[in-house]
Amino acid sequence: MKWYIARRLAWTVVATFIILSLTFGLMAASPDPQAASYVAQQVQEGGDFEEAQESYERARGLDQPLWERYKNYMIGMVTLDWGWSETRSQPVTEAILEAWPYSVMYATPALIISTVLGVAIGLYSATHRNSLEDYAASAFAFFGISIPDFWFGILMILIFGVWLGWIPIYYHSDVPWFSLQNVQQLIAPTLVVTLSSIASEMRFSRATALEYVNAEFVKTAKAKGADSWRRVTRHIFRPALVPLSTILVGDILNIVLVSSYLVEVVFGIPGLGQLSYKAIIQQDVALVLATVLIPTFIAIVGNLFQDLAYTVLDPRISYGER
Amino acid sequence: MTEPLLSIRNLKTHFHTDEGTVRAVDGVSLDVDRGETVCVVGESGSGKTVTAESITRLIPEPPGEIVDGTVRFDGEDVTAMSEKQLEALRGGRIGHIFQNPQGALNPVYTVGWQIREAIQLHDKKAKDKEARERAIDLLDRVGIPDATSRIDDYPHEFSGGMKQRIVIAMALASNPDLLIADEPTTALDVTIQMQILRLLNQVQEEFNTGIVMITHDLGVVAEVADRVVVMYAGKVMEEGDVYEIFENPSHPYTRALLECLPGRGEKMSAIGGSLPSTTSPPDGCRFHPRCPYAVGDCEIGEQPPMYAVDDGDHAVSCVHFEPGADPSVVLGEDGSDAVGGARADGGDETGGDAR
Repeated sequence: MKWYIARRLAWTVVATFIILSLTFGLMAASPDPQAASYVAQQVQEGGDFEEAQESYERARGLDQPLWERYKNYMIGMVTLDWGWSETRSQPVTEAILEAWPYSVMYATPALIISTVLGVAIGLYSATHRNSLEDYAASAFAFFGISIPDFWFGILMILIFGVWLGWIPIYYHSDVPWFSLQNVQQLIAPTLVVTLSSIASEMRFSRATALEYVNAEFVKTAKAKGADSWRRVTRHIFRPALVPLSTILVGDILNIVLVSSYLVEVVFGIPGLGQLSYKAIIQQDVALVLATVLIPTFIAIVGNLFQDLAYTVLDPRISYGER
Repeated sequence: MTEPLLSIRNLKTHFHTDEGTVRAVDGVSLDVDRGETVCVVGESGSGKTVTAESITRLIPEPPGEIVDGTVRFDGEDVTAMSEKQLEALRGGRIGHIFQNPQGALNPVYTVGWQIREAIQLHDKKAKDKEARERAIDLLDRVGIPDATSRIDDYPHEFSGGMKQRIVIAMALASNPDLLIADEPTTALDVTIQMQILRLLNQVQEEFNTGIVMITHDLGVVAEVADRVVVMYAGKVMEEGDVYEIFENPSHPYTRALLECLPGRGEKMSAIGGSLPSTTSPPDGCRFHPRCPYAVGDCEIGEQPPMYAVDDGDHAVSCVHFEPGADPSVVLGEDGSDAVGGARADGGDETGGDAR
């Protein structure tokens, strides 16, 4: 077990290294829109093309040999010097530090609500298969899966913001974080993200629990005299936790990679999604890279925790001691 | 005569499915006394397991439903019990052993946890430490070597035979009066089968436990049964003392089953055809479409009642045994042993002692 964890940790470091190196390769190979516009500007002002290019490269350290740049890039990554955002005129890390709390403010409650409720409803559906409640839950889940986040967000703004006037039409970032007003304006985006992830949680936990509902060991538990609550919580939910634990990481990634862009643009929340979206539109290479690396790291760390959770949850896994 | 420990009368368990009502058990009666082993035999799909699981209402309801009949256990009607009373009965006074020990244990808990659960569900006062001591005793009693150190192992660390011993240990947790064993040896190695049967026999002798054993293995029946109930398509075809059934099989279905047994020194045969539809069973005797002795009377009305055969503990549901009818149609001209040398204990004269 110890060796398994040690190997797993080592692999995390290796994976991170490989991803960072690939990112560097992509960056070195792609054209630099900033350089193009700088040179164009210099030439327009009567400067020499070659000279302008050279001075730009000098300023960026691009005149150094490739491996030198690679070394500086890796050192920068490790020391959290992730480059300079041209469009925002601030270090990339600073832009991210300013943005992330806004994403966390709606993503965390959405994640908690969708996980707890989604799994609970899924378990209920599985143990009451083909009941009216099960059909209702399935219909709700398919609604959640089918409706696009951005459209549902726009509907919320239209109905509750414009027609009913219960919520602001767009997010006010000057409102204090810990205030009722902030909670009020976070309700709609939280609901939108919750809906899209609760649907998949429900379907997945229903399917997973169904495998165990008719398991022989559940019948054994019944034959031992366990009541239905004990059978569901101890004998169905507990073994189902093993596959269920895998969906959490994917769910977080889905929020970071998909929902955050749509929701933050629709509601005007200055979070990571909007930061990344603007960086892409404005071709701010350093900022795009940084915001794309975040979900990558979440995936790596999330998978690490998932594998560590397995060691606790499933006694059957053999860890192949050295 | 006192009331038997378990008394099933005219039990009908049906399953309501999209394809219609499956009459899995359709009027079954049987009795089990303390210290007695009753084997329910029949081919797959004959309703043996549903009968066994109807006793403590383990069948999923819905789609299953006990539509008629009574199950009396020690004088109380189980079919009228509340869920709370049933939970006290299951694993308390009635223990269950299942066919597949690989699946009967929850893979994510230690065997100690699972036996402790069985103990503490029925003895709320038992503290963890005491329950653990009792679990170790149980493991010891069912023959798990080195129980003290193995109690914290997970099911996957045990072999199939050992798992079945653990399942038996759980069933014995509250010293039940009745054990319901649903094909307890079918999934096991032949060498292990005998050990498990002997273990059950020891338990029975020690605690005077009644056992309902579901099996399709006539070898097992010969080994352990006191009485035999032969089932076919949800109905009882023949029942009686184990020696009567083996030495003087009377129902054509029982005879056909015995002819399927290898090792009788005679030609083995298979029963032609297959089980009738359970949603719309044939009129008359359920077996008549496959019966070589079927006559017009077999195809009409209900399943024939149980007619006594000879004077002993032996009855058969066949028109040829109706008083006044001629049983020799089935039994052959000499009236006996038309099936050949099938005998209880497979012909082993000392077989009665082997268990």
